[in-house]
Amino acid sequence: MLRHLARRLGQALLVVAGVVVLTFAVMRLVPGDPAVAFAGPKATPEQLAEARARFGLDDPLPVQLVNYARDLVTGDWGTSLRTRQPVRDDLYLAFPASLELVGAALLLAIAVGIPLGVLAARHNRRLPDFGVRLGSMLAVSVPVFWLALALQTVFASHLGWFPVAGEYDTSLDTTSPLTLWTNITVVDALITGNWPIFTSTLEHLVLPAVVVAAYPAGVIAQMTRAALIEESGQDHARLERALGFGETSILTKFALRPALSPVLSLIALVFAYAIVNGFLVEAVFNWPGLGRYAAESIRSLDTPGIAGVTLLVALVYVLANLVVDLLQGFVDPRTRSR
Amino acid sequence: MRWHKRLLVAGVAGVLALTASACAGGQVRGAGGTPQPQASSGSPAGQTGGQANDSTFVYAPNSDVVTDWDPATSYSNEIVALANIYEGLTRYNSQTKQAEPRLATEWTSSDDGKEWTFKLRQGVKFHTGDPMDAEAAKQAIERTIGKKGGAAYIWDPVDRIEAVDASTLKFTLKYAAPLDLVTSSGYAAWIYDVDAVDADGKTTAGTGPYTIDSWKKGEENELTLKAFEDYWGGWKPEQYKKVTFRVTPEITTAWQLVQKGEVNFVRRLNPQLFEQAGMTQGVQTAQAQSFQNLLVLFNTAAGPTKDVKVRQALQLAIDYDGLAAALEGSGVKASGLVPQGLIGHVNGMEPKQDLPKAQQLLAEAGYGPDLEELELSLTYATGDEDQKLLVTLLSSTLKQLNVTLRAKPMSWSAQWDLGKKGGQDVFVMYWYPDYPDAYSWFLNVFKSADKPQFNLSYLKNAEIDAAIDKLPELTATDKLAAEQEYQRLQQKIIQEEAAVAVPYVQRYQRALSADVQGYQDNPAYPSVVFFYDLTRAG
Repeated sequence: MLRHLARRLGQALLVVAGVVVLTFAVMRLVPGDPAVAFAGPKATPEQLAEARARFGLDDPLPVQLVNYARDLVTGDWGTSLRTRQPVRDDLYLAFPASLELVGAALLLAIAVGIPLGVLAARHNRRLPDFGVRLGSMLAVSVPVFWLALALQTVFASHLGWFPVAGEYDTSLDTTSPLTLWTNITVVDALITGNWPIFTSTLEHLVLPAVVVAAYPAGVIAQMTRAALIEESGQDHARLERALGFGETSILTKFALRPALSPVLSLIALVFAYAIVNGFLVEAVFNWPGLGRYAAESIRSLDTPGIAGVTLLVALVYVLANLVVDLLQGFVDPRTRSR
Repeated sequence: MRWHKRLLVAGVAGVLALTASACAGGQVRGAGGTPQPQASSGSPAGQTGGQANDSTFVYAPNSDVVTDWDPATSYSNEIVALANIYEGLTRYNSQTKQAEPRLATEWTSSDDGKEWTFKLRQGVKFHTGDPMDAEAAKQAIERTIGKKGGAAYIWDPVDRIEAVDASTLKFTLKYAAPLDLVTSSGYAAWIYDVDAVDADGKTTAGTGPYTIDSWKKGEENELTLKAFEDYWGGWKPEQYKKVTFRVTPEITTAWQLVQKGEVNFVRRLNPQLFEQAGMTQGVQTAQAQSFQNLLVLFNTAAGPTKDVKVRQALQLAIDYDGLAAALEGSGVKASGLVPQGLIGHVNGMEPKQDLPKAQQLLAEAGYGPDLEELELSLTYATGDEDQKLLVTLLSSTLKQLNVTLRAKPMSWSAQWDLGKKGGQDVFVMYWYPDYPDAYSWFLNVFKSADKPQFNLSYLKNAEIDAAIDKLPELTATDKLAAEQEYQRLQQKIIQEEAAVAVPYVQRYQRALSADVQGYQDNPAYPSVVFFYDLTRAG
C-alpha cells in the first residue's frame, strides 16, 4: 500500500511540474506584452518600462522560468495584473465558492445517479431502464450554458421560485454576519449556526448545482447500470441466485461494491469536468468562484491570474485522482496490485 | 459504520481538507486583507435613519469595480465610483460643450490663455472633516502631477500653481491650454485631502456626496457607498443615500435582475435585449452617444497603402450605412474624427460607400478585378463583435474588388506591439479622450512620432503637426477659431491624407428601473452615474 502511495505521489508531482512549465510557456509565448495589461491601454513608454521591470519581464526566459517555479514553491503565485492583488489571495477568495458549487453538484449527482443506475439495472431492458437511459443521455448531451440560461429564465425569472443570481442574499451581511472558518459559505453557516445565510445559500445553490450535476449524474447512472449488469452476470451472482437471494439484494448487497470501483474513478474525471463546466455556470449565475475569476482574467489578458487558475485546477485534478485512486484501493483491493 | 457511509464521510472530509488546510478560520466575512464591512453594520440605520434599503441604488457593472483607490493614479473602471466620491474644480456638460462649476464657482483666463484663476466654493469639507481651500487643492494637484501615473499628463501645460488666498487658485501655464476642460477630466483632476489617501479603500479623501461604506474585493456586492452627511450640496429625502455595485458579468443575468427590480442600472445591454427592455414594464431605457469612436488606420508609411489612392479606395469601400444598421443602435455613423458633444465636432462629414469610385482609384494604383490582386493585412481586437462585423463586411466587399484582406483578431497588447513596429496595413482600434477635448485624437493619433505610440497610421506631416500644436491655445483663447481649425484638420487628415476612416461612434444602451428619476448620460465620464442627481419616485 505504501509503495503504491509513493508511486502515485511521484506521478502526481511530475504532472504538476509539467503543468508549471506549460503555464509558464503559455504565459510568455502568447504574443503581446503583459506589461500593457498592467499599465493600461494608454500607457506611456515610461510606465511600460516600469511595469516590465517590476514583473521581471526583461530577464531571459530560462531565468524567468526558474524564478517563476521558485516563487510558486514559496507560495508567491504572482500579482494579478487586473486586481493588483496577490493571485493567491484572489484564488483563496474564489476557490471555496467553486468547491461549494461543485461539491454540492457532485453529491447531488451521486445521490441521483447511483440509485437510478441500480433501478435501470434491476429493470434491464424494461420501461424504467429506457427512462433512465433516455434521461441520462439528455443530461449528458445538453450544453450546460444553454441549460443554465434556460433554468434561470424559467425557474428564477418567470416562476420566481429561486433567486436569479449570486451566492446568498448579501443584505444578510448586516443583519447576521457570517463568521468564516473554511471560507465555504454553506459549511461556515452550518457550523456557526447562521440559519438565515445557510438557507439563503441553499436557495441560491439549487439551480446552478442542478446544472453542474446534470452531466455527472447522467454519466454515473449509465456507468453504474453497465457495471451492475456486468457484475450480475458473473459467477458469484449465479451462486447468490442459487442460494435464493432476490435480484434487488444481489444487486445492492453483492454487485454494487465491485461495480462501484470503476464508478469511483469516473467520479474523479467527472469532478474535473464539473469544475470546468462550473466555470460557465458560474458566469450565468454570477457565482463568485474560479469561473468568474478565470473569465475576468482571460478578458483582461491577466496572465498571472490565468496561470494561477490553471495551476490550481491542475492541482485539484491531480489531487482528486490521487484520492480516488487510494479510495479505490480501499474499496476494491484488486486495484492496488496493478 | 457501513462501508458506503465511511466512503461518504471520507469524501466529504477530503473536500473539506482541501480548503481547511489553507484557512486561518474564525474571521468575519470580508475581514483580513480586505476592509471590514461589519464596521459599518451599526451605522446604516443610525446614520441615514430609517430603512437603509429603501433608498439604495444598485448599479450592475460587468466587471470588478476597483483596482486603484488613489485619485491621483486611478485610470480604470473605478471611475464609476470615484466620480461620486471625488470632485474636480469643474464638470463638463456635453450638451453645452462647456465646463461648469463644481468645486470652483467661477474662473477667468488671461487673453493669451496662459494664466487661469479659479474662485473656490466656500464651506466645502473633505470627508475627513478638514476644509477644502486653495492650499489643499494645490497640494492635491501637485501630488497627482508628482505621481506621474494614470492620466497625470493632463497637467503637462501647468508651470506653477499658487494659492493666492484661501479661495483663489492661480495657475501659470507653460503654453496656452483650455484649463477649465482639463480640470473637468474624469481622471487625474480630482481634488482630495493629500494626507488621507488610502490605497486599501477603507477611507476616502474627497469632497463628493458619497464615501465608502464597504469594499469587499472579489465578491458580488463589491462596493457599497453611503451618503456623506456634510456634503456641501445638502441632502433631500428622495435622494439615494446608499449605492451598491453588484458585479454581474453576464448581460442576460443583469437584464433579469433589473426586470426583477433587484438592480437599478445596467450599464450596457445588447441591441436585442435593449429592444425588449423598451417594451418591459417597470424598466426604462436610455441611450447616449459616447466619446469613443472606432478608427480604421491605414499605414501611410509602408506597403501598398502608402499610395494615397489605395487608402482613399479603402475608405470608400467601407459600408458605413450597412454597418450602422447591423450595429442596431449600439453604434452610430460618425461624422469626422471628433464625436458629437465636443468642441471640434463637424456636421456633414458622414462618410459614404462608393464602390465604383473605389474601383477607379484602385485601378489608378494598379490594382483591381482585371489587374493585380491586392493583399492587405489588418489587425483588430479579439472578441469585439462590433469590430468583427466591420471586418467581415469590409473583406466581403473588398473581395469584389480583387482585394484580399488578411484580418487577424489579436489581444490589445499583441496588436499594439505589432502596430508599434509597423507590422500591418490596417489597424483597427477605439479612441476616447481622457478629458473632454478633441485634442487627444490629434495629438496622440495623428502627430508625427519617431517611435509611434498611438500614431499607428504613421502619418508624418509637418504642416499637420504645426496645426495640431496650435490647437490647445486656440481652444483656450478663441473657441470659434478652434472649431474652424479642427474642421480644416479633419478634412486634411481624413480626406486629403486618407490616413483614417471613422465608421462609427459607440452608443451606450442602458436599462434602468422605472422608479429612477433624473438620469442623464454624460459621455465625458464614461458609464458614470451621478447618484446624487437622481431621485426615487414614489
